[in-house]
Amino acid sequence: MLTAITPSAYVVIVLLVPIVLIGLYSFGLMTNVVGTHTAFSTSDWSDFLTGAGNPFRGRFFTSLIVTLVVSGAATLGAYPLAYFLAFVAGRHRYTVLLLILAPFFTSYLLRVIAWQVILSNNGVINSALWSLGLRAHGHAISWLIYSKFSVALVLFYAWVPFVALPIFVVLDNLDRRLLDAAHDLGAGRFSTFMRVTFPMSLPGVVAGFVFVLIPTTGEFIAPLLVGGPSSQLFGNSIQAFFSDTPDWQYGSVLALTLVAIVLIMLAVFGRFIGGDLTRAEGETV
Amino acid sequence: MKAVGRTGRAVLSTYFGLLVVFLYAPLVVLVVFAFNAGNIPSLPIESFSTKWFSSAFSDTTLTSALLRSFLIAVVNGLAATLLGVMAAVSLARRRLALRGVVVTLILIPLVVPYIVLAVGMVVLLHELGIATSLVAVLAGHVVISLPYSVLVILPRLRTLDPSISEAALDLGASELRAFWFVTLPLMAPALFSSFLIAFTISFDEFAIASFLAPPGSPTYPVVLYSSSRTPALLPEVIAIGSIVIVLSLALVVLAEVARRTAERRIEARTEAPPLTAG
Amino acid sequence: MQQVNRRDFLAAGAMLGGAALLGGCGSSSSGASSGGSGGGSSAKTTPLSKRPDISKEPGNLSILEWGGYEAGGTKAQTSGLWAGTPYTDEFGKHSLVYTYIVNDDQSLSKSATSGPFDIMHPCNEMIPSFVKQGLIQPWDTSLLPSFKNLNPFLVEKGQINGKQYLIPWDWGYASLLYRADKIDPADATGWELAWNPKYKGKISLWNGSGSNMEVAALKLGYHNMDTMSESQIAAAKNTLIEQKPLNKFYWSSEYEQMQPAFKSGDIWITYSWQDAFVSMSKAGLKVAYLNPSQGKLSWFCGFTLGAQTQNFFHAHKYVESFINHKACVQMTNLFYYGTADKTIKPSEIQDHKLAKQLNIGDPTAIEASDVHLQSWQPERPKYELAWQEVLAS
Repeated sequence: MLTAITPSAYVVIVLLVPIVLIGLYSFGLMTNVVGTHTAFSTSDWSDFLTGAGNPFRGRFFTSLIVTLVVSGAATLGAYPLAYFLAFVAGRHRYTVLLLILAPFFTSYLLRVIAWQVILSNNGVINSALWSLGLRAHGHAISWLIYSKFSVALVLFYAWVPFVALPIFVVLDNLDRRLLDAAHDLGAGRFSTFMRVTFPMSLPGVVAGFVFVLIPTTGEFIAPLLVGGPSSQLFGNSIQAFFSDTPDWQYGSVLALTLVAIVLIMLAVFGRFIGGDLTRAEGETV
Repeated sequence: MKAVGRTGRAVLSTYFGLLVVFLYAPLVVLVVFAFNAGNIPSLPIESFSTKWFSSAFSDTTLTSALLRSFLIAVVNGLAATLLGVMAAVSLARRRLALRGVVVTLILIPLVVPYIVLAVGMVVLLHELGIATSLVAVLAGHVVISLPYSVLVILPRLRTLDPSISEAALDLGASELRAFWFVTLPLMAPALFSSFLIAFTISFDEFAIASFLAPPGSPTYPVVLYSSSRTPALLPEVIAIGSIVIVLSLALVVLAEVARRTAERRIEARTEAPPLTAG
Repeated sequence: MQQVNRRDFLAAGAMLGGAALLGGCGSSSSGASSGGSGGGSSAKTTPLSKRPDISKEPGNLSILEWGGYEAGGTKAQTSGLWAGTPYTDEFGKHSLVYTYIVNDDQSLSKSATSGPFDIMHPCNEMIPSFVKQGLIQPWDTSLLPSFKNLNPFLVEKGQINGKQYLIPWDWGYASLLYRADKIDPADATGWELAWNPKYKGKISLWNGSGSNMEVAALKLGYHNMDTMSESQIAAAKNTLIEQKPLNKFYWSSEYEQMQPAFKSGDIWITYSWQDAFVSMSKAGLKVAYLNPSQGKLSWFCGFTLGAQTQNFFHAHKYVESFINHKACVQMTNLFYYGTADKTIKPSEIQDHKLAKQLNIGDPTAIEASDVHLQSWQPERPKYELAWQEVLAS
């Protein structure tokens, strides 16, 4: 019994209780400003959800779109990679997979800083162009950094290897005899792919998409390092409220919204991600 | 017929090659500029120099932050693995009350954005009247590492041949002894993986640390972040960063090699004798 | 996940409800306890004899500071400031950890969320909030040999209830710095210059949070920038939103963003304190420091002592290394900010003309009739929220 309770209780105390507290803050029941009166109030919530032209709501939707686009791009970019690993790489494919995944296990922060070094106004790309005489010295390409492009690029870079993994697993486990059967029935390679391989790989594709979608929704580090004022994400607003203003109540509204949207995403896409954790030993689906 | 034809192979292989270059280019950039004598990481490279390494190692703010992060990551690895073993043991049982609740709780940290957890813990500490501290950072790291630990340990636990620990019990060992001397060693590769994953998560974690590490004792990612915005401190950051990258790549390779070796050895030892006909 | 059924969700919900009760019970006195956690700054101060000796203090000072004000001798100090060198000479340059703020509002919010800090360098308008939230304690001026050199006008302003919470150090102005060779003099009449569409893409306002609301208030012709009504706050916010697209960027770091961009000609108009005027003139640019019709902003800042500091004596030594005469003179000659040191002589200032222009040596200038001293505002949080809305728009 202890083995089940201890970890569960730990999660409750360290994670659930803080979220509940944030909830209470968002409804005005608690405050961090000494001497302020507290009472149940939905004013911050209604301001965020329904206030005319609320900029945080605007940023929320922009952020969501960026996240969906980046996740989609990463999934699209990862598919050929997974396909290569499963069908072309042959015997050494697990080693090659390791080669692809290894950067993912180095420091995320360092990799974003590396992109900062590459993209910045006197960074690798710009100074290379100046040295080669392709661009007037001192004139940097302005959209390379502190832009939506840089944020999207960094996020894409960070997640492509990770997304390739579930797709690869599915493709790798694909029963090759099915492909042979399709060929025997007269299908060409492309046709086989469209009608057999791809549809069967969809669970892996969706899993990969969700694997990148959920963490990216709350992303705020990349915009801090390579993003500009017009490319900040929703996570940055949350961070700003808690570090730049004393308004923890409004910040809590934003934080809780982020949690809610992630749970919704999970509910929508989670059906595709199997979990054998929920089955007891010996049980089948 | 092969699934991929000749043109297909060429296209996919080219794509793969480009992607590998794309993935490793930033890492190479960091390592190259770590040896750049210039003050700004800009081309052309001025001259080869190791001065940023010596400068970084004599910067006690940076080195003490590295040490702090290392220690927190080690403790996090141990604590998350311990909790992960406990959770895995309970989930591997045939019957478990409120199984769904336990699973949900164990997996929730996977979906809560770190920024929300960070500000939530700030609020919690504030309400409890506790000051921010490295212990709080550790507590946050343990909770986010826990699901990964369970996800690595539980499958391994499930694939173990139960007859081995049953044999131990038949021989008179208590459940705890059987677990400690029989089951646990058999899970060694998974425990090691869990430790490594938790270590990696903690060492690089920024969101929680940025809010909960006391200003006088920042962790390495926090120092990394603030230094990256100060041009004067960037070269040192790159120097240390290149070491971290090389070490972590080496670690990934070593871990995989060790895991495969260990698994092969354990399977060889615990292989059931082949069934003979008749 | 797909296996989690309704029964389990209800059970989880019950657990969450229990957690809510737990959270609710513990925080019924959230107002009191959060103030209490700040320490007893308003309570009795520990007598010096009861404090542990300086050799027993941990010694690692964590300081919340503006970029450019790092102590001389530290690696991060690149603006040329000498102040603090006596401290780093005595205690070593690696014993200081700096956390940076980019605007006044961060000085308060970071102290509350990322603290506790040993020393913070906020400006005048935030001090009452610092005291109210229990974040700072009074200095013991008997430990500061150079304290007697400080101008009584500023010293008094740094006191609350007779206790010295702020050791004043630097003071000056804020206005628009502009390229005299690029801007039509007819346009340079007041704060509205930053709103002039003719110079779109060549303007950079500060990421100044509450301060930007003050600029907007002045631009709109309000005389009550510290006590704006809801509709005035909304109007100020909207005019800032209108101005937003005219900026090339909002600058947060003077040395990394604003000055390099101004020097390279990327921007022609920027919010700045007078130090940038001096730096840009020295760099050979034709610049002018606007005298807006609505009046410049003025400010004074200084050092505050963290309520929970373990480095009481170290902190005093640090401040002394900044307020000594040599440090003050050097700072003024570097940034052309006023200093709280009243013993400074005109002969010690290099550029006499500039010094006269900026009224260096006479801090009462910050309260001149044509200048608006940035002061405490009762509804500052509303200004900060409005600025976040501008940023997110």
